[in-house]
Amino acid sequence: MPTSAPIGRVTRCSIQGFDGGIRLTHPDRPSFGALCKAAAQQGASDVIGLIYDINIQDDELARQLAAADAPAAELRADQQFVRPIPIEIRTLTVGFVAGGRFEQRLPPQPPITLAEIYPLESEEVRQFTERLDFLTLVLAAPQLPVDHLLAACLRQAALARPESARRAFLIDAGRACARLLAGDLARLNQLVQDLGQP
Amino acid sequence: MSLDLPQLLQPVDDLSAFAARRAEESAAAIPAAQRSLHAAARADPEILNRKIAAAGAGWRGARPTDERLDATFSPPAHPAELHVLGADGSQVYADRHAAAYYYLINVGGLHLHYGSGEPPRAFTRPAIFFRDEDLQTASGGMVDDTLVKTRRDVAEMQALAELAAAAGGRPGLALLDNGLVLWQASQEHHAPRPEVRELLQAYLRAMAAVQATQVSLAGFINRPRNANLLALFALAEMPDDKVTPESARRPPPAGLTDRSLMKGLLDEGQRSARFTPLSPLNQTFADKGQEVQAFYLKAAGDVARVEVPAWVGEDSEALGRVHAGLLEQCRVTGIPYVLVRAHELAVVRPADRQTLDQLVAAALTRHGLLPEISQKSRTKRWTSNRRRHVIG
Repeated sequence: MPTSAPIGRVTRCSIQGFDGGIRLTHPDRPSFGALCKAAAQQGASDVIGLIYDINIQDDELARQLAAADAPAAELRADQQFVRPIPIEIRTLTVGFVAGGRFEQRLPPQPPITLAEIYPLESEEVRQFTERLDFLTLVLAAPQLPVDHLLAACLRQAALARPESARRAFLIDAGRACARLLAGDLARLNQLVQDLGQP
Repeated sequence: MSLDLPQLLQPVDDLSAFAARRAEESAAAIPAAQRSLHAAARADPEILNRKIAAAGAGWRGARPTDERLDATFSPPAHPAELHVLGADGSQVYADRHAAAYYYLINVGGLHLHYGSGEPPRAFTRPAIFFRDEDLQTASGGMVDDTLVKTRRDVAEMQALAELAAAAGGRPGLALLDNGLVLWQASQEHHAPRPEVRELLQAYLRAMAAVQATQVSLAGFINRPRNANLLALFALAEMPDDKVTPESARRPPPAGLTDRSLMKGLLDEGQRSARFTPLSPLNQTFADKGQEVQAFYLKAAGDVARVEVPAWVGEDSEALGRVHAGLLEQCRVTGIPYVLVRAHELAVVRPADRQTLDQLVAAALTRHGLLPEISQKSRTKRWTSNRRRHVIG
């Protein structure tokens, strides 16, 4: 059973990705490049998604405040930190987990509509990223900011590890990227630089 | 869609024509009402009070306070710091066709500390009532919707009392999205049910708990349709010896309301003079030290009615907090921001209701019961989810 609160409910899905919406307060919002999961196959498996877009939906009250002449700081803080705002996340499928075993390939079925989307716990992130076969799924995704997405994902995967193991993980990840992007040194160089960012 | 709209086309047109005619008549009646206001303001208070007494306990007019009736008041400066508290509630009524017999009250609230720059504190407090003592009345009947609503009203005032206590003796403003007189108690004033009597006492205790803090209490009524002042002006114009309980009960001309009169009298940000809306229940409130006074306020271009206990109305500092605080609260959202948010926190949306029903059904199953809705409820589901056949 996940210990975190859901960050969305599946509204649209395919084998290659799923989108979800929910109302969340600012501190609970997910991050670009985070890994998440949603139930599939009647709960027999969880599809693992990589968040590549977070869209804050339009909201009448927020729009009213935006148009107001200098709303009080406390009202802005209410909107920013307290009031749940409708958000939509979009994810790219990078694998699935069934019977406790992580697979880094496309799942047999997409998630169930309205399945709750949970962030992967640190331990799950660590386990999932022990292998980096999913990098090919990310690099093959069309029209996504895949280099930035990979860098953000790998940095978060490093943070899921003990401090002493983070550097070694990032070096291994950089090597895996180098193998896949050997024909495009400019891209590889940018990705490696992004991996080194805090 | 089961509503046959073509059948309503003519009645809807009639309704609009009536509304337009009423608006014209109402606008035409305003100058006379304004003259009556000024005349009543100049009237001898002793004679006016004599007429009010002659109008009897059933008369629903206004009694003037120490402020001249046609006076208008500009707002004081907003305090540098102010704790603004709002509470609102919603309910799910008991449904004998549902899988379980219960009702729910959900109270939402917001505590906004102006001048701190800090995010406000928000809360929601849902409570389910399902025991015999919750559902059965002293007369042996089952709880009805009016009792659930009254319990919600009391829960709102109790939530405000808790928020006011949490403000820790600092000056504040506690707002309710309604008038302050407990509505159901006013409906049953002559023969209240024991439950309503108890709820009224709990409500008055919660008001007294707010009074014990430094927090001003106010009820905010958007688009009020009251005519307490118009009733007073009509009474003031009557010859002294002609006032009887029957003659005093004259409806206002052309559907005129106090609000339509005040629209022309008040400038933006101004409030009217305070007055006491008279009713037997407000006398009960007065007996408990919680007499309700009212005034009109022009905020964000509209005229609202504001009700305050006399202990706020007669304290210029506390009243100033209400006046300035409400204007700032209405600046962005037209009605007080904390009430907009409290409503949002309290409201039980259809999707929430559906999830709650599922939760109840799952819990019943866990306890070995078969969650069954009634046949009537089942047939309603069949017909309300009718599939639409689209041609073309």
